[in-house]
Amino acid sequence: MVRVMVVDDHPMWRDAVERDLEAAGHQVVAVAANGREAIARFPAAAPQVVVLDLQLPDDTGVQVTSMMLEHDPTAKVLILSASGEQGDVLEAIKAGATGYLVKSASSAELIDAVVRVAEGEAVFTPGLAGLVLGEFRRIADGPPDSPVDQLTERETEILKMVATGMSYKQIAARLVLSHRTVQNHVQNTLRKLQMNNRVQLTRWAIEHGLDDQAEA
Amino acid sequence: MVALNAYRRDNFEHPTLGLVVVVALVAWTGAAIWLYRDRVRRTPVLLVADLAIVLAALAATPWVKSPDFNATIPGFYVMGAFFAWAIHWHWKGGLVASSLIALFDVVPRNHLDQGNYGNVFLILIGGPIVGYLCESLQRMARERDAAEHAAAAAEERTRLARAVHDGVLQVLAMTQRRGAAAGGEWADLGRLAGEQERSLRSLIRQQDTVPAAAGGRVDLAGALEAMATAHPVRTEVATPGGTVLVDEHVATETVAAVRACLDNVLAHVGPRGSAWILAQAAPDAITVSVRDDGPGIAPGRLSQAEEEGRLGVASSIRGRIEDLGGTATVESGEWGTEWEIVVPLA
Repeated sequence: MVRVMVVDDHPMWRDAVERDLEAAGHQVVAVAANGREAIARFPAAAPQVVVLDLQLPDDTGVQVTSMMLEHDPTAKVLILSASGEQGDVLEAIKAGATGYLVKSASSAELIDAVVRVAEGEAVFTPGLAGLVLGEFRRIADGPPDSPVDQLTERETEILKMVATGMSYKQIAARLVLSHRTVQNHVQNTLRKLQMNNRVQLTRWAIEHGLDDQAEA
Repeated sequence: MVALNAYRRDNFEHPTLGLVVVVALVAWTGAAIWLYRDRVRRTPVLLVADLAIVLAALAATPWVKSPDFNATIPGFYVMGAFFAWAIHWHWKGGLVASSLIALFDVVPRNHLDQGNYGNVFLILIGGPIVGYLCESLQRMARERDAAEHAAAAAEERTRLARAVHDGVLQVLAMTQRRGAAAGGEWADLGRLAGEQERSLRSLIRQQDTVPAAAGGRVDLAGALEAMATAHPVRTEVATPGGTVLVDEHVATETVAAVRACLDNVLAHVGPRGSAWILAQAAPDAITVSVRDDGPGIAPGRLSQAEEEGRLGVASSIRGRIEDLGGTATVESGEWGTEWEIVVPLA
């Protein structure tokens, strides 16, 4: 059983997701219709997984993600988005979200994703894998002095397979690896992406003289 | 003007009359400054009056000073009225005002020396030019306002469209979900909703990338997305995010090769097959991978077909890409068939 919080401004969706999760034996500990409510209810509800719509009427899903994870780093955020706006999705993942799903995914896929995210596993769509590959490419083509992690060849290879719609099982079979190893590689790409994001943010803060104020 | 006339007071045959003219001009200056300040009062009557007063002062010069005067009473004071005309009626106004001033300056004179000639020439040239510049400036300001207005309107439209699209996508996704759960005819409806949802989502993504295409270069990611959306094989496109700008020729040929890959999926796996396209961009090359979930090609069958001269789809894909100086390789296994197309960017 996973303790889940559902944040979506469409009541229709909130109810559907809540019903599906409860039917599968999970507990919906809180719901919220906007970013303000979500942030206010998050600490008391203490969910393991937050199913978060990116398009909220007030705050963006990206802000909500980072605020929640700042409060409780052990919580996991699963982004559920209708339009899949590329920039927002990538930003939310960089801010610490563990998974991303399009709303057209079936109930079974959603429940599977919630369980996997709760276990700390990264849930990728092919589209997200493409974005992550593109992001690392941009880092690689950027200034060479950046002390950021690049993907290993194996990680790039596996992400390419995820981006062309292959399941972890298929990838494991094709590369003659264990399912667990494939999972770890995918997770590593996410960890590196988030780490690089923190490095970039810190460097930006230092360059702009914000570090002193942050400590004050 | 006052100081100059005071300095040259000995040149006046009728100093009292000269004083009256100068005082009148000073008074008119004050009145004009006040009159011109408000837009409503800037009528043709005011402009004509302004110029008429200056011309009258010019015309009065031979009687007030001596017939063989050197400097007119208003002197460079004429510029005020002349600029007003140029600003208000642009080059035509500038030309009319400068011609009249030149005429009233030259005609009363007994003699015309080099200096007078130079001043008149400058006035005649300056009038139309100042008028023309004003016209250009005003037009630019209008165009800028119009452009700013258009940009603001477009931005607002995009913002509204996002909200509308998001709502429509939510409903389509929900219909698809409920339909699949209900089964039967509802499942068909759900499937249709799913197709529409995918098309709309891909359309929105293309819209985001369209304005970036410029200078004979087009967005390969958007072009692939557009092609895949229109293709009967259900295809998911993964891009690096943002635009992938390449030469138009490279984009056309690459998209055609990828379409041939999808046609191949349709022929061998059928309309129930799924395909995935991944576009990657490095500074020196683009890589497009196309995978399907079909049963795959038996080992050696492709090369065997090639040897027998039945080249078909494979050669059309390879041919196009090799013409671009790139490579197209195919791999097949239990996981399906995957084409990898690499095109170097010159």
